[in-house]
Parts: sequence; C-alpha cells; structure tokens
Amino acid sequence: MPDVNGFSSADYKVTGGKLLRVRLRTVPDAQGEPCIAAVSITGDFFMHPEEALEALEAALPGVPLRADVLRERIAPFFAGEVQVIGADVEDFVQLLLAAKP
Amino acid sequence: MTQRWRLLLHGARNAFDNMAIDEAILRTVAVGDVPATLRFYTWEPSAVSIGYFQGVEQEVDLAACRREGVDVIRRITGGGAVFHDREGEITYSLMLQGNAPGVPQNVLDSYGVFCQGLVLGLRRLGLEATFAPINDIAVNGRKISGNAQTRRFGGVLQHGTVLCDVNPALMFTLLKVPDAKLRDKLLQTVAERVTSIRRELGAVDPQAVIEALCAGFAAALDAEFIPGVLTEQEAQLAQQIKGERYARREWLFKR
Repeated sequence: MPDVNGFSSADYKVTGGKLLRVRLRTVPDAQGEPCIAAVSITGDFFMHPEEALEALEAALPGVPLRADVLRERIAPFFAGEVQVIGADVEDFVQLLLAAKP
Repeated sequence: MTQRWRLLLHGARNAFDNMAIDEAILRTVAVGDVPATLRFYTWEPSAVSIGYFQGVEQEVDLAACRREGVDVIRRITGGGAVFHDREGEITYSLMLQGNAPGVPQNVLDSYGVFCQGLVLGLRRLGLEATFAPINDIAVNGRKISGNAQTRRFGGVLQHGTVLCDVNPALMFTLLKVPDAKLRDKLLQTVAERVTSIRRELGAVDPQAVIEALCAGFAAALDAEFIPGVLTEQEAQLAQQIKGERYARREWLFKR
C-alpha cells in the first residue's frame, strides 16, 4: 500500500545476507501500466564507484515496473567498470517489482 | 619487496574526526604525499556508523542515540550499520594507492588480501580466525570482525572493526530492527552469530590486540610499519572534510 505521499516500499533479502530496500512512486502510463516516477534504493550492499547508484536511480523514472524492461535498464549499470558486491542485477529487479503498488 | 608503511596509533576520537581523518589520509596517500598507512583508533563517545547506501532513519533510532549520547555518522564506505562501543572494539583503517603492488583491482578479491591480515593477527592471539566472505572474519563460525572498502580519489580505503566486547541489548536499542517482534529473537541470534575477544579469551588487552593485528598485516601485506604522526596537511584536510561532509546534516540524511 502506498503511504500518504504516494510512495510504496519494499525490502528484499539477497541470498547470502545483504538487505536491499526501495521507496518508489509510480504513475500510470497511457496503457495504465505503473511506471516509476521517483525511486530511492538503500541497503547494506557495496557498489564501486558508489555514485553508480545515483546514476541508476536517475535512469529509472519512466520505466514500467515489468521484469524484462527493468532488467534491460539495470543491466548496463552493472557492466563495465562498476563492481556491485552482495547483490546482482536480478536482485535489484526483484526489489523494484516487490514495491509494485 | 617489503613495503614501508606508516603506522598511526590514534586512540579515542569522536566519530566525525575519525571518519574525516580516514578520508584525509586516503586522499593524501592517493596522491603520494605520505606513505601507505595503517591506523588504529577507538570511538569516544560511542557511535553508530551507517553504510554509504543506507537510509539513516530506516536503520537508526535517532532518539535513542540522543538519549544514550551516541553519535550517528554516515561512512563513505558501503555495508551495514555498526555500533562502535567506546570500550567494545578496536577499529583499524588501511589507506594505500589504487595501483599499489599486490592489490587486486577486483574489490571482492582485495577483501581476501586485506582480511588475511586480520586473520593472521587474530590467530597470533590464539583465536581460530577464518575469512568469511564477503567482508567478515569469524571465530568458531561467529563473526568477530566486519570490514568495508571504498576506492576513491585514486586510492583504496578499507576500514573495519574487531569486537573486543559485545553489548547486543544496547546495540538493538540504537539500531532499528525490521520487526520489533523479532527483537528477542535477534538478541538470541547475535549471541549465536557474533563473538568477541573477551568471549573467546576471557580477557582483552587492547595493546596486545593492536600488536597482533600489526604483525598479521605485516605478514599479509609484506609490510613494515613505522610509527608516525598525521601531517599538518592531513590534519587541516580532515578539519575541512569534517565541516564539508561528516558533520553536516545533509550528509547524514543523504538517504
């Protein structure tokens, strides 16, 4: 259930112990499908460089809360120079889906 | 070839000075103005530190911290929330250049290299310490040390704690638990999953712990530690970083 500000939250426990948490707000697109309007991801994972998380959050608004699209959008952030420790692409996808209002 | 490192024995400082000093050393080491550095310190007053990506209000009972006189600070390193009891732990930090020989570029691999110093050090004290990936050290299957790393400014910083004594009841007064109904279970879990030097050995001699850890890091990193002091440049930089970052409400409430 979204809170008074329209944000819904979810926690997602990664196998192995790390806890990912999300707060997000959605708006329906033309087809009525919920799309991310604002999102904040927190947790006890590691990401190097750390600023990659802010870049990821900035890339999510407008994306529908659907596994295939989320996967496609998130995967590039975990490629290349960025090292994420304690969670992988699929964990972030499942985290966001868990907050679907 | 054995590398000469600087050793800083800093004793007790508050959370804001401690985190600002680690970052100031990291930046100064990274540009080559001072040698790679191993620092030991404690926290006065006690403090809760949260990981770079954590939400402060999600993790910390700020009113309880105020009541208990416990500082709250956000680290530049990821990982979880830690209660730094003023008498219950020894904290270390390692600062070195990003391209230093023997340091894996893969962060996960480098935890193994640095944590080996802790493993060897704790074994010198007679503890059956083992590396518990990703970033912990365990004794008899129970966590005794947690560690966190960042790579910024061209350098590597790893800091972590060795538990000397544990006070789970106070810890869970200060840290929020996901479900209050789980508090008793969590206290029990901590007793099962976390240990300390006192619990394992019956007594703690902080000086002996630091000496053992130095010897462990020396063996693991092929390093020789030369006692030194913070330079004037580092001290000034630390004050600046404290004011711009760690002492700021915006930094604490960033997430």
